[in-house]
Amino acid sequence: MNDFKPSIVKLAGLEMLHSLAIIGLSKNAGKTTCLNHIIADWQSSRQPRPLALTSIGRDGESEDILSGRAKPRIYIPAGTLLATAEGSMQRCDALLEILELSDIRTPIGEVVLCRALSDGYVELAGPSSSDEMDHIADLVRQHEPDCLFIIDGALFRRSQAGSGRNEAIILAVSAETSTNPRILAEKTRFSLDALQRPAINTEINELILNVLSDNLRASALFIRVNNYIPEVDILETPSLVGFGHEIAKKIVDGTDFLFLKGAITDQVIDQLLKEETFKNLTLIAEDGTRLFLKPETTRKLFAKKIDIRVLNPLDVRLVCLNPTHSNNQVIVSERLLAELQQSINVPVVDFGPANM
Amino acid sequence: MKTHVMISQELSKQIGVTALTEACNCRTPQGRRLKNALVFYPPSQIDELRSEFQAIDNLRVMIATNHPEVIEGQTQLSRLRELRGTFSRLEKGGLLNDTEFFELKSALKVFFRISRLKALLNAAGLQFLVTKKASKLLDPAGSGNPAFHIYSAYSPELAKIRQEKKELERAIALEKGSQRQTLLRQRTLLVDREDQLENSIRVELGEKLLKWLPEMQHNIETCALLDFRIAKAELALRWNGVLPTLLSNETPTQIKNASHPVIAKMLENQGQQFTPVSIELHKGTTVLSGANMGGKSIALKTVFLALLMCQLGYFPVCERIQTPLFDFMAFESNQEGDLNRGLSSFGLEAVQIREHYRRSRSEVGLIIMDEPCRGTNPTEATAIVQALCNIYGRSSSRFFIATHYHVMPNPGIRFYQVRGIRTESLAELPPHRLQSNTSDKNDKTDHRSYDLHEDISRVRRIQNLMDYRLEEISENTRIPSGAIKIAELLGVNQELLHEMETARQEEEWQNSD
Repeated sequence: MNDFKPSIVKLAGLEMLHSLAIIGLSKNAGKTTCLNHIIADWQSSRQPRPLALTSIGRDGESEDILSGRAKPRIYIPAGTLLATAEGSMQRCDALLEILELSDIRTPIGEVVLCRALSDGYVELAGPSSSDEMDHIADLVRQHEPDCLFIIDGALFRRSQAGSGRNEAIILAVSAETSTNPRILAEKTRFSLDALQRPAINTEINELILNVLSDNLRASALFIRVNNYIPEVDILETPSLVGFGHEIAKKIVDGTDFLFLKGAITDQVIDQLLKEETFKNLTLIAEDGTRLFLKPETTRKLFAKKIDIRVLNPLDVRLVCLNPTHSNNQVIVSERLLAELQQSINVPVVDFGPANM
Repeated sequence: MKTHVMISQELSKQIGVTALTEACNCRTPQGRRLKNALVFYPPSQIDELRSEFQAIDNLRVMIATNHPEVIEGQTQLSRLRELRGTFSRLEKGGLLNDTEFFELKSALKVFFRISRLKALLNAAGLQFLVTKKASKLLDPAGSGNPAFHIYSAYSPELAKIRQEKKELERAIALEKGSQRQTLLRQRTLLVDREDQLENSIRVELGEKLLKWLPEMQHNIETCALLDFRIAKAELALRWNGVLPTLLSNETPTQIKNASHPVIAKMLENQGQQFTPVSIELHKGTTVLSGANMGGKSIALKTVFLALLMCQLGYFPVCERIQTPLFDFMAFESNQEGDLNRGLSSFGLEAVQIREHYRRSRSEVGLIIMDEPCRGTNPTEATAIVQALCNIYGRSSSRFFIATHYHVMPNPGIRFYQVRGIRTESLAELPPHRLQSNTSDKNDKTDHRSYDLHEDISRVRRIQNLMDYRLEEISENTRIPSGAIKIAELLGVNQELLHEMETARQEEEWQNSD
């Protein structure tokens, strides 16, 4: 690999961005390394806006709990905002000023909003639900309206249509997924395809958002368009998993759109596929991060002429490649890059280990 | 409340205590705790209760006029968090962490802000203690910034280390590779020293703040009181509560046009109206009789709730109320759900009767019973009810009983009845379908099926014909006979009705012997 490293800030177009989520394709995908690259590049390119960091649940510990293998730490410059649980705060060595207590509780204490008054290492342990993440985002914006808010993990702000917020995603991919370049490229392409599912048309989008705002507990909406006039049937279940049968029962012959709130898994879809009426319709997810489908399941959907769309299309800016495996096996990055670049429509870069 | 108010949990819900606490919206965890404690004011605390009522009355005026100090007070109160853990840790000499210092700093700021709201505190009858020096401890530079960290201003040594560290961090930012790693290791040494110093400052800060703990505790209690009083004043406005007049025990309780907020709301949703309850309860016994479906239970609950609210420091929902305070209050109704307490229904009543009477011999109570002995044989039941009325008739307590049994006049017993069905309106109700003579009289089998919905709507219509108002009656007024009339209106067979009426007349004739 040559010494020249492209700027991740420029490549992913982060200068003007409002918020960013870093998603890993697997465990040890290199999310933290990617975050460290962004922080370092943000600092060296002298970006005027501050960064604000949090994570979905716990991340950034010095050791991976599962493998016991050393994980990269997060090193931040003074001025960075941080939303992290009390327990993690005590393990940060940057001087932190407490700005706000969020009232959001985690197993290791309340999530606290702080500002770093010095450079230093930090550990992130943020909220674990979308609503809580929305609350944290609001708190962050109260203190730094103009910051780049980075979420280590995938829960996205439930954006209102036309809110004008720009949110983007960086996908971290490592040899952990597969050491075979071709298979890794294939899996990455498939995940990108799910993440980048196109949006549903504006009328249906607005209709769904309206119905959802009046029915907070709705988990599935069944829309039938009759003479240009949509009719909506609502189902309330505590989750999608385990309620495939209830959902399936409500699909009728004329159902044109099926909206499912939350994680759409193989289990849910398998149950739906058993129904004769589950065909020739558009399946709508909140966004691409809610789709957890195997390629085979997706193929079955397409075979039944079921199109998959989302309410909030995601803007994947970059694939960040980490060519190592947790068993220390390293793949030749060039081959992987070449393979990936051929099969996907998003820039792929290996930034190497972060300068910690 | 537990030792003063004798009601089962189920009844407490039915009477509306749960709805009362739910409707009273406190903004702080401390205020909510105070509210849920259901503090009961016994007669010995009549002066405290009067001041409480005065404060609520003052606040009610301020809230109604949108006084800016109320709005500011509420805003500040909503910033207050639960501080019990932090206080207890401080008291035990435990090491506070930065989040806890931040909590204290925020609370001190709330105290300071509210302590400046003179009109509000005056109205609420509350005072804060000065904690300016404690605030200064958590904001050594006096910046007024609400954020917190262990400030360099606490120790010149800490300031020096941080300066050194800052220069090192500047160098680290410019370095790469192994040189950077060396500098990072040097930084770790400085971080360790910084940590040690910060910890000793935390210990010192805790010790200094401990001296201010009594003041801070007083202020947090004051916030709780302010919060609870504002919430009660808001509720008084919402429910049309009234400032009660508190009197000595000798004077009768007078309640004019009391409403039951929960039942009234329920009726309103059904398109009906609550008939306000007015009554005088003298010391001794008050007997309430009246037709079935006449709203006796509702009247008892309304009276009990009004008097209970009064002794819990809330404004009762009525037009006017004057009353002495009671040492204890009891409401007994064995209508439902009590059998599973492991006693037979009369066994349970006997226990209640024993307990109330035992207490009433040394204390002044309000004892309300809704149709006691309803499952007992009528001869003994009449005797028991009569005995209760007689004995409480001679006591200083107030015994208010709804019963169908005939109570003979005796000293200290007064009588009320529900007015009952307005006979003049009966014509509005067409005869019941099951009574119409369409079927063949010779055909003894009656195949017309009964329709639950029709019966429910008919019960509603009969309810609309009821005059629920209570009226005091002379001791010789006959027990109103409403039950047979209602049976007729609900379509009970003519032959059976005739039998009922004959039996009633025979019974009356025997009793008049």
